[in-house]
Amino acid sequence: MIRERVVVYGAGSPLGRRVLDALRANSDTHALTADSLEREALRAAVREADVVINTTMGAAATISSAANRLFDALRAAAPAKRLVHVSSMTVYGSAIGKCNETTLPVDPIGKYAAAHIAAETGARGFSQAVILRPGCEYGPGCEAWSGRVAAWLAHRRIGDLGAGGDGCCNLVFIEDLVRAVLAARRAPAAAGRAFNIAMAGPPSWNEYLIAYAIALGATPVHRMTRRRWMLESRLLAPPLKVAELTIGRFPFIARLVPPPIPPSFRRLCTQEIRLDVTAAEEILGLQWTPLAAGLRAAASAFSD
Amino acid sequence: MLLDTTDFPDDHEIRADIIIVGAGAAGITMALDLIGSNQSVLLLESGGLEEEPGTQDLYAGAVVNARLHSPPDRYRQRRLGGTTTIWGGRCMPLDPIDFEVRDYVPASGWPITYTDVEPFYARANAICEAGAFAYTTDATFGPAALPIVAGFTSADFSTHRLERFSCPTNFAARYAHKLEGRHNVQVVLHANLTQIVLDENGTQVKQLLLRTLGGKRVAARGGCYVLATGGLETARLLLANRDRHPKGIGNQHDTVGRYYMCHVAGTIGAIQFTCPSSAVYRGYRMSPEGVYCRQRFALEESAQRREAIGNFIARLHHPRITDPAHRSAILSLLYLAKPLIPYEYQQRLHGTEGNSPGDWLRHVANVVAGPIEAASFTWHMARDRMLAERKFPSIIINSKANLYSIDFHAEQYPNAASRVLLDDTVDPLGMPRIKIDWRYLPEDVHTVRRALEILAKDFAASGVGQLHYDPALVETEITRYGAYGGHHIGTARMGSDPRSSVVDANCRLHAVHNLYIAGSAVFPTSSQANPTLTIVALALRLASHLRRTGAVR
Repeated sequence: MIRERVVVYGAGSPLGRRVLDALRANSDTHALTADSLEREALRAAVREADVVINTTMGAAATISSAANRLFDALRAAAPAKRLVHVSSMTVYGSAIGKCNETTLPVDPIGKYAAAHIAAETGARGFSQAVILRPGCEYGPGCEAWSGRVAAWLAHRRIGDLGAGGDGCCNLVFIEDLVRAVLAARRAPAAAGRAFNIAMAGPPSWNEYLIAYAIALGATPVHRMTRRRWMLESRLLAPPLKVAELTIGRFPFIARLVPPPIPPSFRRLCTQEIRLDVTAAEEILGLQWTPLAAGLRAAASAFSD
Repeated sequence: MLLDTTDFPDDHEIRADIIIVGAGAAGITMALDLIGSNQSVLLLESGGLEEEPGTQDLYAGAVVNARLHSPPDRYRQRRLGGTTTIWGGRCMPLDPIDFEVRDYVPASGWPITYTDVEPFYARANAICEAGAFAYTTDATFGPAALPIVAGFTSADFSTHRLERFSCPTNFAARYAHKLEGRHNVQVVLHANLTQIVLDENGTQVKQLLLRTLGGKRVAARGGCYVLATGGLETARLLLANRDRHPKGIGNQHDTVGRYYMCHVAGTIGAIQFTCPSSAVYRGYRMSPEGVYCRQRFALEESAQRREAIGNFIARLHHPRITDPAHRSAILSLLYLAKPLIPYEYQQRLHGTEGNSPGDWLRHVANVVAGPIEAASFTWHMARDRMLAERKFPSIIINSKANLYSIDFHAEQYPNAASRVLLDDTVDPLGMPRIKIDWRYLPEDVHTVRRALEILAKDFAASGVGQLHYDPALVETEITRYGAYGGHHIGTARMGSDPRSSVVDANCRLHAVHNLYIAGSAVFPTSSQANPTLTIVALALRLASHLRRTGAVR
């Protein structure tokens, strides 16, 4: 039997680990991670592969450098092979309303979003590339949208944000995103296309935060005053970030410093952007984990 | 988009598919719901972003019996957000029985049932920021919920039903930002509707004529029109437009402005509980999603039918604030602070007692005798009400003596003689001012009297305490503060017969095919429930209807 050879680049990310595990559970797939490979070794691995998956997550510089290295290796390989490039919904910038995959970025565009846009531009240079634009990944192991949010809720640092939480929360359960990656590596009609990956009928941020707090048992949910929310996300965020970067090196006292609530999170909570996921449903055949089930899993993982 | 009529050129014309007059609970809800639809929406508001005396004065008018009803410019706000800018926030749905034809309630019966409104209540609850649509203790708190009075049992009164409290949400402060950035919604301030122009047959609205207090004239032309101006102003606007219909729009059968209802409410008696004070809980509990909830004694539908009386609920209440005999530092502090309390919340701080210098000194003595109690209460109100975004809903004082009064809130029967009509005076825009002739019936007093009898009997039979009150004083207590402020119901009632109603089941005027009414004016009966939640639910239902029927220019 000829086994499908898959290279996962960015397997250190929560998504990458899960994708790798899922692939390795298939007897007809040979999956390996290429994160630590030097340039020539990476080129060789990519050359041998049937499918290359980029699940790199992190800061803008990490996204850019990973994309550059991987695409360099892909350009050296022949024939063209399927690339599944996991991007981000941030490529829409400050857009509001319903966004499908043809929606153009709207200014202002942050550094992180710009890195994803540039990486997507590189990915589109490969005819077999499939670009996935996930919303906010949540679930077990998802620190950004489940882990740190659980900590903020438990300490009553966020809650019902009122008008500050009216934005659309384009959640995607982590296992749904894994399924999207796996489907994208094979779906014939997916080549050369981008796909929004988020649950259909998403909640508002307030609805998400309240439902998650209830699932965590962090109740009653606190209604944040505007003053308190601005204090947390505007005034306290910079010094807490500095403290995290400095004191964070000393685990002894790092736990005494509460994690910052970044201004970008405050902005996202008001952004009324709704991802149109019709293409992902029709071409990748995705179905979405119900929010209640996803929240139960996330709460179970982070309730400590 | 937020615009101002004062910025338009004179004789400017604004066009939209759906034109909503009044940016209060109903109007803002409809505009929110129509965001992103393929219909353009124009939301017209008479006022500005804040209260303006000149605009607020347009609400002024006359009251036939000033003892029974507050002045027409009280409990109403003519500004963006409407009366939600001052409301108390109590939310609860109507009960299924409220929609039924009850042979013992003349003119009762809606052309729709509870199940027609129920699908819209959950979203209405969310818009009112009252949490989940869960109005029982089991659904909200699970089986561990505490009773109001441990040991109280009754076949006729339930104690597991809740009222939930909005923040209270000021719809302007909360939702204006959502309306501003929308391509299909325009909000226009300082747009006073002065004329509803009908076609030659008088069956279609052609346009609305608007004026500013500065004299600017603007027209609004659309496919369909919605009056969302509250129970009093809706009647005034319909009655005042007599160009095509001499009795006013929709008033061919003299129904507009009639059947005006508020609620029958008051505080009465003294109940001395014999159970431990820890067995009595009359305060608020916070639901998991962070919403204040309170249980009440609700008269079961079976008891209403058996007794042939209206809907009724009761709550345990503190003694009358004005009477210093209560010896409560907190209540006396409230009495002394009444100049600082808004008019709409002051009513119960006025009374026949407490007005003499001697009474005033006794209130001071109560405060002096309980400085810790008074200070602790002041801190609680500052932290949990004044500074909080979700405000503690009302004063809760647990009696050390286990002694309470009964606060009741009951349905008022529809009564054609209770009405809103036009006064002989006009406002600065030339519109006839309003005149209110609110009346109640012996049946309203009977509802309260009989419900209290049953409640007293059940307290005694349960062995938890004795409710003492003078049945002869029920009517006195009902009229002590007059009609319940702010609940303006029934003046353009919904029905299937054009001879006895103004709008049909879709809230469209029988007589004018593109004119709709949103708000409590359409309620044919008043229920025991505060109206706002149902106003919002019916506004959502109407928005859904307009979206479905595709009302376009």
